[in-house]
Amino acid sequence: MVDDVLRLKLALLSSAFRGPRRLARTAVVALLAIGFTVAVLEAAAQFRPDDAGHRAGLVVIASILALAIAISPLTSGLGSALEPRRFAPFPIAPGRLAAALAVAGALGLQGLMAVVVVVAIGIAWGGTPFEGAAVGGGLAGAVAVILTGQFLVAVAAQLAIAPTAARTVALFARGLVGLGVAAATTTALVVERGRDDARVIEIGAFLASTPLGLPWAVAGSDAPALAARMLGALALVAALAIGWRVLVGRLLEAPERQRWIPRSRGLGLFDLVPATQGGVIAARSILYWTRDPRYRLALVALPVAPALMMIALAIAGIPGQYLWLIPIPVLALFLGWFSHNDVAYDHTAVWLHVAAHVRGASDRWGRAVPPLLLGVPLVVLLAPVFAVWSGIEGVEPALLGTSLGLLLTGIGVSSVASAAAPYPAPRPGAGPFDQPPLTAATAGWSQGLSMLAILVLMAPALVTAWRGIEGEPELLPIAALAGVATGVVMLALGVLIGGRVFRRRAPELLDLVLRT
Amino acid sequence: MLEVTGLRKRFGRTVAVDGIDLAVRKGAIFGFVGPNGAGKTTTLSMITGLLRPDAGSVVVGEADVWRSPDAAKRVLGVLPDRMRLFDRLTGAQMLYYCGVLHGLDRETARSRSEDLSRALALEGSLDRPVADYSIGMIKKVSLAAALIHSPRLLVLDEPFEGVDPVSTAHAIDLLRSYARAGGTVVLSSHNMDLVERVCDSVAVIVGGSILARGTLEEVRAGSSLEERFVDLAGGRSAVEGLEWLTTFSD
Repeated sequence: MVDDVLRLKLALLSSAFRGPRRLARTAVVALLAIGFTVAVLEAAAQFRPDDAGHRAGLVVIASILALAIAISPLTSGLGSALEPRRFAPFPIAPGRLAAALAVAGALGLQGLMAVVVVVAIGIAWGGTPFEGAAVGGGLAGAVAVILTGQFLVAVAAQLAIAPTAARTVALFARGLVGLGVAAATTTALVVERGRDDARVIEIGAFLASTPLGLPWAVAGSDAPALAARMLGALALVAALAIGWRVLVGRLLEAPERQRWIPRSRGLGLFDLVPATQGGVIAARSILYWTRDPRYRLALVALPVAPALMMIALAIAGIPGQYLWLIPIPVLALFLGWFSHNDVAYDHTAVWLHVAAHVRGASDRWGRAVPPLLLGVPLVVLLAPVFAVWSGIEGVEPALLGTSLGLLLTGIGVSSVASAAAPYPAPRPGAGPFDQPPLTAATAGWSQGLSMLAILVLMAPALVTAWRGIEGEPELLPIAALAGVATGVVMLALGVLIGGRVFRRRAPELLDLVLRT
Repeated sequence: MLEVTGLRKRFGRTVAVDGIDLAVRKGAIFGFVGPNGAGKTTTLSMITGLLRPDAGSVVVGEADVWRSPDAAKRVLGVLPDRMRLFDRLTGAQMLYYCGVLHGLDRETARSRSEDLSRALALEGSLDRPVADYSIGMIKKVSLAAALIHSPRLLVLDEPFEGVDPVSTAHAIDLLRSYARAGGTVVLSSHNMDLVERVCDSVAVIVGGSILARGTLEEVRAGSSLEERFVDLAGGRSAVEGLEWLTTFSD
């Protein structure tokens, strides 16, 4: 039985090399995996067992990576071929199926990455009396990671009811894994710097007391604690194994969950938002941002533009620490500015808003939701990371504040610009690079002026932040406050003014799109 | 129910609508007919608050469409010609969207969408994106969207273009019962037979001015509406210069 499932797994793995598209995908994944392996082993070689900060850092990094590796099977989508329920029609004892699936789970990229982490820990503790304990604990940890991954796959397969839900989960998992790798890298840098050891030790001690960090913290403690942690790690594996066995048994017996049939007709996102003008406009906006190629281009370009800018500035000789401060504000600026021609993107469909005499502020708020929903978490998560990477002390709040300010001010200015100065845009359904049937001189003006307006409104906060970086660190918190305050006020004002303009000029806006 | 006085609109040098006066009483089904480019769509757009007139006033019920649009647009249901819908939404989402924009709550918007889709035989297509609809289907879903907030006055621009005969019959029944209950309908069409079948009063617009108006009987003046219409629109011009068309090439 076990080798049947293993053969199936091998066949699945080899299918990743069939066909040019899948091959390209596999090549990318392989490159990422190799990069990951090299980075982890390299970091392990730098480990100093006598340094408390390093020891704690090891626990933190291993815990984060364990979590990322456990989640990683979800990144390729839900509904795995090795999901327990698929075997329900065959006469297989649940116990043997559970064991076979767990072994099959260890085979493959996930298992490989877990092994890399164990090897890295072995290298890290190599030559110390703790080597054996480290590898033992690590192996227990790796098994726990793989079993957790199996749990997630099995549960996710039950959730994979609608394709959109499945895609969302996969995307979310990818984000989490990416975030995990970023967090591990940041931790390594912080540990290497050695200035925040106290904090790292605190986090390490906390993680070591949870199931997540326990297996990685076996080595490096005194004998009683070592024994206790080793036992704890084994108990964790046993608990997961029993749980896995029970889950497989349940899944084989319980009838498959019915595909969820909408009680009334499926309204998708519209079921989740409040039934108000602003609510439905927000839902419609989000759908267009995710489905319309004109918006999707912007989403693809967003991470690329700051990266290109960084490369260009690096070649121009800007020192590295400043380079790290550039991407997030630039990203926030573009994301806020992007919707400055949103009404023209609706084309004549905007008549619905005119005929219903939609409240201006509702229209503006609704359109502001997608960039807010995308931009705020992005800035809040990434700005501190980039600030740490820059190595400039105390710049975190300033980078966060000014980036948020740029985003919110951008959305505020766009709210006014899209009502006051729209210009012909590609029609719905057209490609993002298609030229509108009628180009107008207003396009350049509108684009340039709205960008300039954002920068001018944010200038006080930006200048303060710059002076803070250039030797007046007491200004950095002020820049952060100024940035956020400017953003909030400008967003509110923009929505208010933009709403008035939209309502007054609605027929003229419709006239403009009619003529294009 | 609808009072239009001195409505005027010019685009550049061409006068599209040249001082139109109209009055439609409550409960009427009013037909607005005219040849291509006569100013029908321009007039209807100004009546519904979508296109700002150069002069003149439009009063719906008690409210002036251009001075107090809030009150006027609440009682107006609109189906414009050749304007897009948000076509990446499904039909159900589209109807719900229109309902909520017009101030309906969640349950009402949903149940009315269902009622309307049943009445207009849209049920099977509601979960498909509007972008996949045929022209006739788009007209039907637009009609449903115009009706969803139970307006007092319906303004429909070419509502039956591309709609199959069965659905047209459904829609006509629906409009008749709506008018019997006190609703008012203004519709434009190229199809004279249809206008004769549905409307109780008509106006003929040619070159931006109204040439005839009144009850169907008055405008028809004994002949068929189509005959009258062709007369008013300048009569049949003799087919000249197309003699080659009668000498077949083989």
